[in-house]
Amino acid sequence: MTGFVLVASIILSAGSLAWVFFEAGLNDFGRWILAFGVAWLVAQRIGWKWVSSVGLALAVFLSAAGLWFGLTPGWMFSGAIFALVAWDLTDFRERMRFVAADDNARGMERRHLARISLLALGGMVIASITMILRVKFTIEWGALLVVVILIGLGQLVNWLRK
Amino acid sequence: MYRYVLLSALVYGLLLVGLIALQGSFIALAIPFMLFLLYGFWNAPEDLNIQIRRTLSSDRASSDAEVVVTLTVVNNGADIEELLLDDKISPRLTLRSGSPRHLLRLAKNSSCTLKYTVAGSRGFYNFDQIHVTATEPLGLIRREQTIHASQQLIIFPGVKKLKTVAIHPLRTRVYAGTIPGRIGGTGTEFFGVREYQSGDSPRTINWRASARHPGSLFSNEYQQERVADVGVVLDARASANVFHLDQSLFEYSVAAAAGLADAFLAQGNRVGLLVYGSYLGWTMPGYGKIQRERIMRALAGAEVGVSSVFSGLQHLSPHMFPPESQIVLVSSLVNDDLDVLIQLRGRGYQVMVISPDPARFERGLLSDLPKVELAERIIRMERNLLLRRLERAGIQVVGWDVSIPLDQAIGPFLTRPHRSVFRRSS
Repeated sequence: MTGFVLVASIILSAGSLAWVFFEAGLNDFGRWILAFGVAWLVAQRIGWKWVSSVGLALAVFLSAAGLWFGLTPGWMFSGAIFALVAWDLTDFRERMRFVAADDNARGMERRHLARISLLALGGMVIASITMILRVKFTIEWGALLVVVILIGLGQLVNWLRK
Repeated sequence: MYRYVLLSALVYGLLLVGLIALQGSFIALAIPFMLFLLYGFWNAPEDLNIQIRRTLSSDRASSDAEVVVTLTVVNNGADIEELLLDDKISPRLTLRSGSPRHLLRLAKNSSCTLKYTVAGSRGFYNFDQIHVTATEPLGLIRREQTIHASQQLIIFPGVKKLKTVAIHPLRTRVYAGTIPGRIGGTGTEFFGVREYQSGDSPRTINWRASARHPGSLFSNEYQQERVADVGVVLDARASANVFHLDQSLFEYSVAAAAGLADAFLAQGNRVGLLVYGSYLGWTMPGYGKIQRERIMRALAGAEVGVSSVFSGLQHLSPHMFPPESQIVLVSSLVNDDLDVLIQLRGRGYQVMVISPDPARFERGLLSDLPKVELAERIIRMERNLLLRRLERAGIQVVGWDVSIPLDQAIGPFLTRPHRSVFRRSS
């Protein structure tokens, strides 16, 4: 079941992003995105787990680029969120290899899929609502974001130094 | 790398770009990722409070026998959504069933029992570290801990039972055994004739000798059967064991030493073992089952060694063995060993050499090229010459083609003393 959802997520992620780029007339981009989706699927088949991290980063980059060029945000969010699901399931599948035969592996799979589906759906809904509400980007919002970013970056640097 | 680092980097990257570009859509794109991260941090595992006990179905096993390893995990802390247990086992052990890595869910104050089966070849195997990793449901945040649960598994070498190994050392010990003692007394083999002494059984009177000397009576004496001191020397020098492509004869030598030591001890003899490699591993002589255990332990840990000091057998000192006892050397032999063995023989030791055939062994590893065949012929001639010289010095030499099991190949030839057996071929 996880394998099926994983493959579907990669296809949906690459498909969403490629579709929007094709629609915008950026056919070369679209083809490259499809090629990357195929490469991701092949890497998954071969067992190169690290490709999923590259895939996620690239999907987020392409989504951000699409947003920058003013392409349809819904497809961009969809591309990034399905990439996130695929990235998560790749690691989950790796962990599931060590489940003992007499354990309830199916139950674990079901719980995990339900959990990430809800998270992905929740993320999509909140992101869409944010796009609809379109709060004016004031200096106060900017200051808040700067503080959040600085705290976060500080934690990240701290962790890396450890 | 922890997975949350990648997600955090993406989130902060998007927020930063959104801030620079003053575009809310980038921040909206970051929201699903932030949600993921928040869920992960919310459910992050607490400090681990886990106890693990490891038990082995047997801490001593024979080669290739299966040993069941049982891990009992008790969680004294909070619920753990995903706990990955990784029992670090020696790469030399083969996994027969189950797995030393397990992913499980462990509720608070609950326990779990996991099993896997291993088998291995001769050696000492230490089980120590168990690496545990607890993660929240998304696998973003981990807590790792290494738990020590020391255990040792000893895998003894396989012992091929040899029926009888006939030896005839000059000196025997006082206890009754199976080795002819060169002393008259009660026994089965005729030893000599002496004057009748009161108390001698009339059955022992030699009537023919008594008839030749009127007025005197003579009794037959029989050879006493005693136990003897036997020193088994296992040659662990790399020069005598390691050949083409790092293939080694050593395991065969160990099997031979184990079989011989077992046979000598079963006959009641006092047996010691010397492993002659990069150092001298000496197991003091002793009798019985405890000594068998000691010798098998020493053989389980024996390894091929390289040492310039012990490159020759000159450190095989006569003082290590009781005078005039039996020495059994298990070695494929190198040319320089001749003098040392002859010296031992000259000091009154009975020396027996069990020699796995290195030429035949190495020939099996090489291709059928004319130059290989020529090399084999030369090596075989040199080896035959060496073995003949040993034989002339009164040393019993038994060659062993290791493609044939020990008990079948040399067992029958060891039942009679001083019978050298090795193939002479051109």
